[in-house]
Amino acid sequence: MAQDAAGTVGARVSPQVDSLIRAAQAGDQDAFEQLVRTYDQSVLRLAINLLRSPEDARDVYQEAFLRVYRNLHAFRFDCSFHTWLYRIVTNICLDQLRKRKVRKEESPTIETSEGPIDRMDAFQEEAAHADPERSLWNRQLKQRIETALEDLTPRERMVFELRHYQGLRLRNIGDMLGTTEEAAKNCLFRATQKMRAVLGDFT
Amino acid sequence: MTCDSILKLIPLYYYGELTPDEEERVEEHTHGCPACTRELVQQRALAAALDRRQMAASPLLLEDCRSDLMAAIQGGAPRVESSVKGPWRLFLDAMAVSFSGLGKLRQPIGAVALVAVGFFAARLVNTASPPSTGGLLTSVTSPTDDVYSTVRSVQPDNAGGVAIALDETRRRVVKGNMNDGTIQRLLLAAAHEDNPAVRVESVDLLRSQSGSTEVRDALLNVVSQDANPGVRLKALEGLKPLAADSEVRKTLGRVLLSDDNVAVRMLVIDLLVAHRDDNMVGMMQGLVQKENNNSVRLKLEKALRDMNASPGRF
Repeated sequence: MAQDAAGTVGARVSPQVDSLIRAAQAGDQDAFEQLVRTYDQSVLRLAINLLRSPEDARDVYQEAFLRVYRNLHAFRFDCSFHTWLYRIVTNICLDQLRKRKVRKEESPTIETSEGPIDRMDAFQEEAAHADPERSLWNRQLKQRIETALEDLTPRERMVFELRHYQGLRLRNIGDMLGTTEEAAKNCLFRATQKMRAVLGDFT
Repeated sequence: MTCDSILKLIPLYYYGELTPDEEERVEEHTHGCPACTRELVQQRALAAALDRRQMAASPLLLEDCRSDLMAAIQGGAPRVESSVKGPWRLFLDAMAVSFSGLGKLRQPIGAVALVAVGFFAARLVNTASPPSTGGLLTSVTSPTDDVYSTVRSVQPDNAGGVAIALDETRRRVVKGNMNDGTIQRLLLAAAHEDNPAVRVESVDLLRSQSGSTEVRDALLNVVSQDANPGVRLKALEGLKPLAADSEVRKTLGRVLLSDDNVAVRMLVIDLLVAHRDDNMVGMMQGLVQKENNNSVRLKLEKALRDMNASPGRF
C-alpha cells in the first residue's frame, strides 16, 4: 500500500507534522516549506499520473500548495492534514479532467511516425532510451489502457487512481471527494468494469 | 451466494475493501466455481497491466515545482490573515501606532476610522458612484469597504481633543474586457506596482496579449528588471510564444547570464532551446563551464544536445 512521505494513509498526522502545521500557521516560512516537502512528491505523482502532462501537473502542484498556503490558518485538525490537502488537490485535478473532457484536446497519446505513443513516453526520453526493446504488444496495451482510462468519468478516474496507484482506502477517498465510502466503492466497481470491457483480451 | 453477486465483490476483494465476512463468502464461492475464479484471475491480470503504467515524477520536475512555489510565495501571494480584526480593534491599533511613533500608517481602517473621527458617516453614504453604462468598462465603487486612510499626523489639543490628519485613498474597481485599451494600460501600469502580488497577477493577465509590441516590451522589461523571481517567471511564460523573436532572444540571453534565480534560468533555457541559434549555442557552451547549479548545468547540456551542439567548447 502506498503511503505518503509523512507515513500516514489518511490517518491522524504525526506529531512532527502536527508541529510543522502549527509553526506554519504561525507564519514560519521554513516550517511551511518542510510541510510541502513532506507531501509534495505524492501530490505531484498523483497529478502527473492523472493528467499525463508535466505542465499540467506543475500547474496543479502550484495551485494546490498556494491554496494550502492561503488557507492553512483554517485547518483545525479535525481531519488528517493528508485528507485536507488531498481534498484541495483532488478538486483541482477533477476540474482539470472535466475541462479536458469538454475540450477533448489533450489526448494522452500523441501521433508519431511509429504510431500513437503515450505523451509521457515522449516526454521522458531517457525512459524510452533505457527500454529500447519495448514491443509492439506493449505499445498497443498502453494505448488500450489510455483509451480505457479516458472512458472513465473524472470521478471514476480519480477514485481508481487514488485506490490503485496511491493505495488509499476507499473510506478516505470518500472523505476527500466529499462522498461516502459506498459511493466510492460503486465508482471503483464501475471503473473496473469499464476497463475490463476495453482491456479484456489483453489481460 | 450467486455468481452475479460475487462478481460485484471481486474488484473490492482484490483491493482488500471487503469485510472479513464478505471476504470469506467470496473465497468460499470461488473455491468451487471455475467461472468466478477466472474472473478473479482476470482482475489480477488487469491490475498487473495497469501497474506498469505508473509514472514517477522526475526529481527535476519536483525541484522546478518547489522553486516556482517558493518564488510565488516570496513574491507576495496574498495570505489570508489568520484572525480577522474587528473594526474597533483596527481603529485602536491604528491609534496606538499613530500616537506612539507618529509614523506612517497604512491600514485599511477605512470607514471605521472615519466614523470614529466623527464626520464622515454622511459623506460615505453619499459617495457611491453609479456604474458607468457606456462601453466595455464598468466602474464600481463600494463606499463602505474601499476607503483607505493613511494617518499623517496626530495633534492633541489643550482641551483634551485631538486633530488627526489623514490621506484618503478611494478604491475603484474597473471591470472590462482584456482587449480593451484602458484595461491594458492599467495592467501595464500595474506591472510596475510596488506590491509583487499585483505585479504577478498583472503580468499573468498580460501574457494573453503578448502579441502586442507594447506588452512584449513590458514583459521583456519585467524579465530583465523585476526584483521578484515569481514575477519574472510569469513574464517568461508570457514570452513563450515569442521565443523566436530576435529581441526576445537577446534579452533571454542576458537574463540567462545574469539572473540569480535557478527557476528563472531553467525556464529561459526551455525558451531558448525551442529554436536553434548559433549565438546562443556559443553563449550556452561558455555557461556550461561556469554554471554552479547542477540542475541548470544538466539542463544546459541537454539543451545543447537538443540543438545538435556539443556541451563543451572547442
